[in-house]
Amino acid sequence: MKASRTALPVAALFLALLAPRPALGAASEWSKNPQSSVRLVTPWLAAPREGELWMGLHFKLSPGWHVYWKNSGDAGFPPAVTFKPAEVLGKPELLWPTPHRFDLPGDLVAFGYEKEVVYPVRADIVNAAARPLPAPSDAPEGAAPAGDSLWITAELDYLVCEVDCIPYRYTLTVEQPLGDVPVADPEISPLMEAWVDRLPRTLAEVPGVTTGAVLDASKPDQPSLEVRVLGAKGVPGRTELFLESHEALDAERPRMRTTPDGVVFHVPMTKLDANKALPDQTPIAWTVSNLTGPDGKPLNLEAKRDVQVWKEAGTPPDPLAREAAKAAADKMPRMLLWAFLGGALLILMPTVLALLAGEAFALRSAEAEGGRSRVREGAAAAACGVVGGSWAVAALSLAAGRAGWPAGWGAQLQEPVVGALFTVASVVLALNLWGLVEAPLPAPGRASGTGRHLLAGLFTVPLALVWPVPPLQEPVGFAFERGPAAVSAVFALIGFGLALPYLLLAAAPGMVRLLPAPGSWLPRLREGLGFLAAGGVFWLLYALSRQVTPEGLAWIQLALLAMALLAWLRHREGTRKLSKVVLALGLALCAAGALWLADQNRLTPRLEDSNNGPPRTARESRSSLTPGG
Amino acid sequence: MRTIRTTLLGLAALSLAALPALAAGAVGETAPAFSLKGADGKTYSLADFKGKTVVLEWVNPNCPFSDRHAREKTMSTLAKRYGGEVVWLGINSTNAEHRDFLKPADHIAWSQKNGVNYPILYDETGKVGHAYDAKTTPHMFIIDKAGKIAYNGAIDDDPQGRNEMAKRLNYVNAGLTSEKSGKNPDPASTKPYGCSVKY
Repeated sequence: MKASRTALPVAALFLALLAPRPALGAASEWSKNPQSSVRLVTPWLAAPREGELWMGLHFKLSPGWHVYWKNSGDAGFPPAVTFKPAEVLGKPELLWPTPHRFDLPGDLVAFGYEKEVVYPVRADIVNAAARPLPAPSDAPEGAAPAGDSLWITAELDYLVCEVDCIPYRYTLTVEQPLGDVPVADPEISPLMEAWVDRLPRTLAEVPGVTTGAVLDASKPDQPSLEVRVLGAKGVPGRTELFLESHEALDAERPRMRTTPDGVVFHVPMTKLDANKALPDQTPIAWTVSNLTGPDGKPLNLEAKRDVQVWKEAGTPPDPLAREAAKAAADKMPRMLLWAFLGGALLILMPTVLALLAGEAFALRSAEAEGGRSRVREGAAAAACGVVGGSWAVAALSLAAGRAGWPAGWGAQLQEPVVGALFTVASVVLALNLWGLVEAPLPAPGRASGTGRHLLAGLFTVPLALVWPVPPLQEPVGFAFERGPAAVSAVFALIGFGLALPYLLLAAAPGMVRLLPAPGSWLPRLREGLGFLAAGGVFWLLYALSRQVTPEGLAWIQLALLAMALLAWLRHREGTRKLSKVVLALGLALCAAGALWLADQNRLTPRLEDSNNGPPRTARESRSSLTPGG
Repeated sequence: MRTIRTTLLGLAALSLAALPALAAGAVGETAPAFSLKGADGKTYSLADFKGKTVVLEWVNPNCPFSDRHAREKTMSTLAKRYGGEVVWLGINSTNAEHRDFLKPADHIAWSQKNGVNYPILYDETGKVGHAYDAKTTPHMFIIDKAGKIAYNGAIDDDPQGRNEMAKRLNYVNAGLTSEKSGKNPDPASTKPYGCSVKY
């Protein structure tokens, strides 16, 4: 008897556990198979009686298995679903989160989702309260009375694939409680939100971003699509283009390249029907994944356009030419600011700092001897030298670019001979500051003429150029993409930034008095600055190590050491004119030898040799050739 | 059995050695030539059917879509209806190393069980499949009497197999009907559905 008394509550508890539980939120039971599980969910504990209703098809997939995007790719098919009651839900819209690409054997591809996905579904409830709805025949016992709940049924067909594919069909039913005051489900609502966030955004939702495409059918047998995105950044290897199915064209694997404005995809296409001519315009829809938007946040973008079909000979027009021009105009002030700040940052580079400090103390000496007007003249001359030098470099870079040589920030270090030239120049500066070599440059404690200041300004530019500071990468790349006017403007601003101390002294020569008056300490400072310049040599040798063989680098270092030795001998022993000339010639020979060694021991082919290959953009040059790139 | 497979591979390789570089099977292009060994041991060459309309169906008995259409006799009914007017060939491009690969005897048993009344050819090197750019099983091609591809695409408009046979648009039937009346199939190309070809 005691046993039966104990068994009763246990049995009651067991039965209670088996009985249908009251709906906590709205989710159907999971329909399971060995490859996947699926259920229908809504984010509401109580949904509104009228208006927009969100639902979701929630899949969990076994490792290696995937379900499909709206364009399944070369095989498979996307899920197909019909919802009931149609008279209340209308025609719900199945939405497609940004997919992944799956490579299949035989060079086939599929687009879809693995591990987990919720396909959001958007529906409009049409006055559910006014239509008492009977619960479906398979509704669990104890179902809520009709009218308080909306019974939603989804007839779902889907294909789940690994290497093999298995189709499944389920009927998913959910009881959605309705209420005057909507109540969100704390468990499902965040899940739905996360997957709604993964829906690609339309252009209207992302100000500052635009996209367009043109179909190049100038070669009828080899049409290709170019899709451009402006205003968002892409990451090679992560950013992908997904094209929706097209009735007349089949897409091959897209190739992406980045530009200062955004990304460009080139997609070889195949005509499905050789008998049918392509129209002048054709609708094409695409999604681009893993972009970074103008606000710095991750962005997936979708668009559908009537794309121009370019059938004439020659290069098709840029589909976003107008937008690109506008974007460039909008971006120009920011690029100029970065150019100025980057130029100012170059002042802190060791070789530049050494030269500028020497020049500043030379101006301090000039002030002591000739007053502020001498300072203004000297500073203005030096500033002119810097800005003029920047323009000269801009002109040289443009000419180099036209000749097919790479141009851009960092391009200066990709040619070993140029790198060696900068190294020799830095060694000469260091030797000059140590007092071992006389160069026509102003020096601390020595008043100089205007011409010398101009020369110092000019000499500052190549010494600054050896430092590819990151803030200058974007404005310089942007300028070379835009053309000569933008290059002139950007390099002028780099020059103004670099010449900032001179400009300040030209505007307010009295500021030079902030520097201590020349004294016996100045020669020591000068020698100290020599070590700063020598520090720059180490950076250049590091950069050269990427461009020449280790043996070549060792020989170049030996040539630089010989330069230092000869300079020292010339300084100590070279009292006679003949020996001075001989040692100077030896110095020049060592410098020329360093350049020759760089040329002979290069790791990369000569630029004129590499020009036989396909043209490279400034950005490609930068990314592949800057040290560490 | 390994000997049979090796022989089949060798024959296929030999027969395809002279295969020219071919464009993928776009509608309007000349159908790539082939000569393949059938599961029945006979050799079938496209050249043998010059002047006849030919239907090619990429098949894989281990693919649920191929298997469903075989069971539903989607193609075998048509093949019977068109009789001697149209040559019907199934091609299996499954790689010999793939787990879906079937030995000729098993393939014949599958055909007999499902009433598949046309030969199945072995293309385990995948060369013919790639020449036609066959992507799925099933993937259908109609080659017209002039040897041009007239239709390339799906077997019908019902990937999920939801509708009764009578309510489905059978693209191959529609294409052959157009062919018979001297018109080009419309649509001439559709997106094929099913499992990927197991190259």
